[in-house]
Amino acid sequence: MNTNSNVYTIVYTTIIVVVAAAILAIAAMALKPKQDANIKAETISQMLAAAGFSSKEDLAKLGNDQILKMYSDNVKTAFLIDAKGDKIGELETEVSNIELQDNLKQENKNIAAGDPQLPVYVFKKDGAEINVIPIYGAGLWGPIWGYIAFNASCTEIVGAYFDHESETPGLGAKIKDEAWFREQFKGETVNFSKPDDSFDIVKGGAPKDDKSAVDAITGATMTCNGLDAALDTWFKAYMPFLQKKAGAAQVETEDCCGGDCGSECEGEGKDCNHEHNHNHQEG
Amino acid sequence: MNEDLKKTLLNPIFKGNPITVLVLGICSSLAVTVQLKGALVMALSVIIVTGLSSLVVSLLRNSIPNRVRIIVQLVVVAMMVILVDQVLKAYAYSIDKQLSVYIGLIITNCIVMGRIEAFALGNKPIPSLLDGLANGAGYGMILVIVAFFRELLGSGTLLGFRVLPESYVPNNLVILPPMALILLGCIVWVQRAIQKDLQEK
Repeated sequence: MNTNSNVYTIVYTTIIVVVAAAILAIAAMALKPKQDANIKAETISQMLAAAGFSSKEDLAKLGNDQILKMYSDNVKTAFLIDAKGDKIGELETEVSNIELQDNLKQENKNIAAGDPQLPVYVFKKDGAEINVIPIYGAGLWGPIWGYIAFNASCTEIVGAYFDHESETPGLGAKIKDEAWFREQFKGETVNFSKPDDSFDIVKGGAPKDDKSAVDAITGATMTCNGLDAALDTWFKAYMPFLQKKAGAAQVETEDCCGGDCGSECEGEGKDCNHEHNHNHQEG
Repeated sequence: MNEDLKKTLLNPIFKGNPITVLVLGICSSLAVTVQLKGALVMALSVIIVTGLSSLVVSLLRNSIPNRVRIIVQLVVVAMMVILVDQVLKAYAYSIDKQLSVYIGLIITNCIVMGRIEAFALGNKPIPSLLDGLANGAGYGMILVIVAFFRELLGSGTLLGFRVLPESYVPNNLVILPPMALILLGCIVWVQRAIQKDLQEK
């Protein structure tokens, strides 16, 4: 048989490609449930790392079941909010049936369209609440995303974790690999007065007095720009919620403590905290 | 015949090692050798991919149209790599994340295509399988040696377990890619010193 004829070549390559595609499709379908379980545990462990329950390295040593249990034990409530910051649905937190709003790509489109369903995961740590929200955007080569943990009144960032699909190892990938980069976010705030540009990642070093800016990574300009844009976009989408939280805390502080004791009230006055939660649910 | 098979199996491991003699697959050997665990998984993945791709191409060798043989080979290699990646994602997710793009980049590893072109296309399936496995093993062996020194000196651990005392200050240079190149150079040096016929005049 003439293996160099045009007809033979076309038929042969077609068969090879179809067979290869079929094998890959079967493998992908068979392995999907297991992969999904891994991805879910990974998402949860990123949240736990952002909220400061454990380091990502330690979480990586745990099995999927242990990570799900850790989430279920520490999470207080998880819910969805709309563009106005109002609660529009609950997410199940029972260990057997944990629900996550983890299709961030879709939500990113929904934010642009003005109709998002954004998740807020509220954890309990040492008696205080921690609100964890996701961010998502485009890096240099592919998507980048992360989780930002706020204190109870959403006025201060208490932790962050970032991940990426295919940023350059040793450069853009440092947003995930370098602990110093995410440590910088601790103690920073979202700039409520600039909703379109509420957080900056500054090349050449962030000004010391700017509480809404961190240093960028050398050699990773495009990734850092992408992350900056992702933070701005998602903080803007969450802005009504964050402001409500911050506003509610402000009012509470003044109401139950006479306005003098400031932030001390939040941590110590249990009644105050309780009232505050109550108020939030009504609001 | 047996003598030939033995040569097929042993040659790529030392005398014709794909990394130190043919200088192929350098990029990934610099990138995935920070930790021994990652290097072991990478080595295993490459062994499986080179072995199975060579086997499949060898089985198809008489039917492959000559004009599109590179494309057919690529389809086979890409399929194997994606299968390995999928299995890792399902059963070794954290390692797959750690190896990130480098599993996918096995497709472009010259060792795989090189062995298919040079050996599998002209040999029977069994020798081709052995040749693929042996070349993967030759690559993997260097990877593991480099990773052994890099994890030991760079983190003071092996496979995640601490072997050097806490008082050992980890050498950060060893973690960075340039040190992998230096270590690789040392291995090439040692091998050339033992095997004088590899020395270039």
